[in-house]
Amino acid sequence: MSSSLIPPESLARVGEILAGPVTVRIDRRESQRYAYAVGDLNPVYFDDGSAKAAGYRTLTIPPLFITHALVTPEPASKLRTDGLYEDSTSVVLKVARMMFGGEEWDFLEPVCVDDEITGTTRLLDLDQKEGKKGPFVRLVRETTFTNQDGQVVARSRQIGIAR
Amino acid sequence: MTSYPNMATVEVGDELPVMHKRAEEAELFLYSAASFNPHRIHYDRAYANYEGHEDIVVHGPLQGSWLTQFITDWAGPNARLLSVQWQNRASAFVAEELRFSGSVISVDQVNSSVELEIYERKEDGSVLMPAKATVKLEQS
Repeated sequence: MSSSLIPPESLARVGEILAGPVTVRIDRRESQRYAYAVGDLNPVYFDDGSAKAAGYRTLTIPPLFITHALVTPEPASKLRTDGLYEDSTSVVLKVARMMFGGEEWDFLEPVCVDDEITGTTRLLDLDQKEGKKGPFVRLVRETTFTNQDGQVVARSRQIGIAR
Repeated sequence: MTSYPNMATVEVGDELPVMHKRAEEAELFLYSAASFNPHRIHYDRAYANYEGHEDIVVHGPLQGSWLTQFITDWAGPNARLLSVQWQNRASAFVAEELRFSGSVISVDQVNSSVELEIYERKEDGSVLMPAKATVKLEQS
């Protein structure tokens, strides 16, 4: 039986809001820069006529761009040596390294340019498991995205693996 | 005129057209900029090596967006992506040849949707990212 990698004070944070709510208006040029960077030149992101012909109110956005649209810029003085920003809300674990384990997305309503999107991220789950290479922690953050009409447009669960 | 799948034509076992991706330094830099991601492992080779990576690391969300592109290119503009989920099993590195393949594993006529099973693989065939997705297609 290995000792717990999850301090009790971290376990107590399950359900807590880690980030947000943050509200952002979806910007056409930012969305299109994202699409170019991905190499996804779908006309529904660039041409209003194509978007409307496909049943959208106006230009829609690359599905995962919604996460990046909500990123809040911070001053460079808050950058750590690894290039990431200091995060006062990060969950404390007795581990050396956090890895990107995957994501799960539900898309419930279309998201279009000029929509006002609010994102709120919670600590959904924190669980210690036994793997072949020893114990690890599975950390799940869930972000809920709502639009200006109060509709939930998307949910994402980001899974982190820490050992 | 490109033809896209619909509920009248789609069948279990249908394969999506294979998509190849390869990101050089400039493309990874552009993705860091477009996603406002300053993480050093995506542009600083020496730092990536210091953290134990063999080379500059391809962003996880970039591969996620390639995955949604792979699906929507096949499904067409009138289809709607309802859900997608993936696991990141290993890291992809700069200038690696990456390959997306997938197929229809179930057809739900009641909800007009199909379930897809998708894999992103390296050149040696090893799986980087297994994924599943649900897509709503047009009736005909």
